[in-house]
Amino acid sequence: MSDFIDLTSAAAESATYGADERDRMGFFTDTTLCIGCKACEVACKEWNQLPADGYEFTGESYDNTKELSGNTWRHVAFVEQMEPERDTGRWLMESDVCKHCTHAGCLDVCPTGAIIRTEFGTVVIQDDICNGCGYCVVACPFGVIGEKQEDHTMGKCTLCYDRLKVGEQPACAKACPTESIQYGVVDELRGRAEKRLEKVQHKFEGAQLYLNDRNDGIGGGGSIFLLLDKPQVYGLPPNPIVPTKNLSQRWRTAGIAAGALLGAVVLCAVARR
Amino acid sequence: MSDGYYGRPIVKPPAWTDLIPTYFFAGGLAGTAATLAFAERTARNDRLARTMIFGAAAGCAVSAFCLIADLKKPERFINMLRVVKPTSPMSVGVYIFSAFSGSVFIAAGSEVTGIARPAGRFFEAIAGLIGPVMSVYTAVLVGDTVMPAWHLPRKTLPGLFAATSAASAGAWGLLFAPSRDSGSARRLALVGGTAMVALLQALHHEIGAVQAQAYSKGEAGALARSARLLNIGGIVCAALAKNSNALSKIAGALLLAGGLTERFAVYRAGCASAKDPKYVLESQKANSASSPV
Repeated sequence: MSDFIDLTSAAAESATYGADERDRMGFFTDTTLCIGCKACEVACKEWNQLPADGYEFTGESYDNTKELSGNTWRHVAFVEQMEPERDTGRWLMESDVCKHCTHAGCLDVCPTGAIIRTEFGTVVIQDDICNGCGYCVVACPFGVIGEKQEDHTMGKCTLCYDRLKVGEQPACAKACPTESIQYGVVDELRGRAEKRLEKVQHKFEGAQLYLNDRNDGIGGGGSIFLLLDKPQVYGLPPNPIVPTKNLSQRWRTAGIAAGALLGAVVLCAVARR
Repeated sequence: MSDGYYGRPIVKPPAWTDLIPTYFFAGGLAGTAATLAFAERTARNDRLARTMIFGAAAGCAVSAFCLIADLKKPERFINMLRVVKPTSPMSVGVYIFSAFSGSVFIAAGSEVTGIARPAGRFFEAIAGLIGPVMSVYTAVLVGDTVMPAWHLPRKTLPGLFAATSAASAGAWGLLFAPSRDSGSARRLALVGGTAMVALLQALHHEIGAVQAQAYSKGEAGALARSARLLNIGGIVCAALAKNSNALSKIAGALLLAGGLTERFAVYRAGCASAKDPKYVLESQKANSASSPV
């Protein structure tokens, strides 16, 4: 993992809690079980008191939520894979959420310290600190974070930090009627996901795990997924990489450019007459 | 079934306004202007040094306004100063900008009023030394995002930002100093302008034909082509401008406009590379094929 020497990670950041450090908690979203009921979206909006998205009709299957944003922290994607005659086909549904990355780009770049790693290893924006600079929006490989229009700070899933604190599970997982959204200790969820894949892969063409690999570009997700097609089919990046990777190399290149600039100015000044 | 989800973006385009590319322009100009001011002071060309430290102060004033006004909660700007985060180029940048603009304002204030000259000169030197970093760090800031058009040109983007800053600072000198004093600014404008045109080509080459479309198509492409025209026009005028006040001013105006347009072209390219998911998909395909992550 030497590529990540620049970076802080979930383990290192949670460890700063000392005795208060808890098991790393996360989601396993098993899309083979999702029925597209959007109970997760509603439960999330209710519990977190997020305003509605309006009544726009997209015509994109049953998806009128469109994307994760500042006020939408669960988003159910609907993918219709029909034969041209539309008599047979597959209907894929996936409840998307913040990935609570091991190497979190949003957390790395946040200049105010508003984004923190909690004692549960999750990534949370403190909205009383956030000054709305918007850097996290462009540092997220998944396009999760957006502006909350009504209070002008940035918003995303907190993994129901307030509920975790009192030993409850997140609202979406609690509301999910099919256990498509499972909440638990991330290490255990990884094992559960692998077993589940083994069980279903002969039944579902294209079944694959997503973000369960600790060696991927974000060091693995705190949210992991069992998908039934390539990630990009669901609007997910196939090979996400935390932007902060190679940051020290970027600074070195910038240093060379700055040095060249200084040299150019000096040469231009001494070249007189 | 084509790849992608109803053509929706995979990553979110910036929530920033046009104040941000304006800052890249003003901050870049300020940085290199302060360095030229220091160099000219050392070479005892006080006339140009004075013009340049005022240029740096003007750039800093515009920058401070842009940076704070672009925050969605400007009254919380101060929260930037509650932590120092080496993993955040914006956090590092806030301290670079604070040290730089503070030094520039003291130096320019002393230059105007004549008060505390030695302190003014001292801070002019400090500003001059921080200047190149001030001009280039924004390339790291935008590089450390998931916008493919900013993230991928790792080698050329800092150079492009340095060159644009040099051209803009040189242009400021051409525009506001008499031509008999602005020789160094003219040379800097020539070097910076030429490097800017060349490095944008190199950037296209670095990121490859598909990714370069973010820079060559749509609004970004139109801006880039305008910038190129303005810059080449400015370079030609600057080359002919020795001892001609009129031509110097035209060259300065063209290169300032070219630099500003160039900043907007780069900014729009980054936005375009987020809005169309093909850029993210193409860059991640290349990743998995060549270098394991």
